[in-house]
Amino acid sequence: MDKDLEHRFITQLEKHQNIVHKVCRIYTSGQDEHNDLFQEITIQLWKAFPKFRGESKFSTWMYRVALNTAITLYRKSKKSVRGDHYEHVLNNLKYNEYNDEEEQQLKLMYDAIKQLSDVEKALIFLYLEDRSYKEISETLGITEVNARVKMNRIKSKLRTILNP
Amino acid sequence: MDEFELLKKDWKKREASLPKLSYQDIYKMILKKSSSNVKWIFIISMVELSIGLVFLFYTPAYMEQMNYLFVDVLSYLAYPVIIYFVFRFYTNYKKISATSSVKGLMDSILRARKTVKHYIIFNLSVIFITSVCTSVIMYVKKQGGWAVYKQHSELGDHLILMALAVLVTALMIGLCLGVYLLLYGFLLRRLNRNYRELKKMEV
Repeated sequence: MDKDLEHRFITQLEKHQNIVHKVCRIYTSGQDEHNDLFQEITIQLWKAFPKFRGESKFSTWMYRVALNTAITLYRKSKKSVRGDHYEHVLNNLKYNEYNDEEEQQLKLMYDAIKQLSDVEKALIFLYLEDRSYKEISETLGITEVNARVKMNRIKSKLRTILNP
Repeated sequence: MDEFELLKKDWKKREASLPKLSYQDIYKMILKKSSSNVKWIFIISMVELSIGLVFLFYTPAYMEQMNYLFVDVLSYLAYPVIIYFVFRFYTNYKKISATSSVKGLMDSILRARKTVKHYIIFNLSVIFITSVCTSVIMYVKKQGGWAVYKQHSELGDHLILMALAVLVTALMIGLCLGVYLLLYGFLLRRLNRNYRELKKMEV
């Protein structure tokens, strides 16, 4: 029974692991921290899995647990050193990948996202993931109207960072 | 194209460069232990709850000698209160779930914390009452008992008595509060900041 649960969980997570990696990319800087957060999200998902009833989609459920872990439950371990922004990875970006103006702008945007607060990162992440406002509001526990208002503010905040 | 649409497109494109973990990698991960905030909050809360219990069950020798009614009364009054707090903490803690909404999770953690906070305030009040009474009684005893004290006491004596009581109490409460703020300031700083931000959105 337990083995069966374990197998179902690992198979599902293996299939949807991109979601967790993307949350790690938004919230961490550096590969060590990425792995550390991935580890903690996996544990939290596994702990919550017996109660997953399949009423919502596995992926929707994962967004919640992963964001909750990144924003609230995760404690940065001391060994991971901060400040290696440029080596890392918001998207494994390297400067030389950006040769034209459009890509230069993308690089700036990813850097700007790094400067957002935890909650703002969650909103922009769910937006990038094409989640509906209904889902965003349910995931964060705010109303749909407030989610829209906040998203517009973040967008203009990002624009200001980009074009000071 | 809108810059955010461009970003969205790029974000999708970059999925290709994400790491890929195998079944075995994930299997190894679920065997490990969590190091989450909530685990630490739970451990510290348990320590706090038990310190209160020790404090109630253990009566220092000098207090026993004094054999004053207030110590007994206070202890008996405190039992149901402590049981109530432990029960409340347990039910609150059970409600903490990673599958709640982000705000819901923060709410439930803060609620569990609040119970412990009230418990601490309760304990500090008990400490306050006992230490005021104890220091007064000790001082009077040293002067040769109530009868003697009453006969010979002057304003100065009363002032010393009051100062002593206040000093002892302030020291004890200061110590407890210091440890308390240090512990939770550290653990809950980020949570409080994020919670405030979510709350602000609702206004």
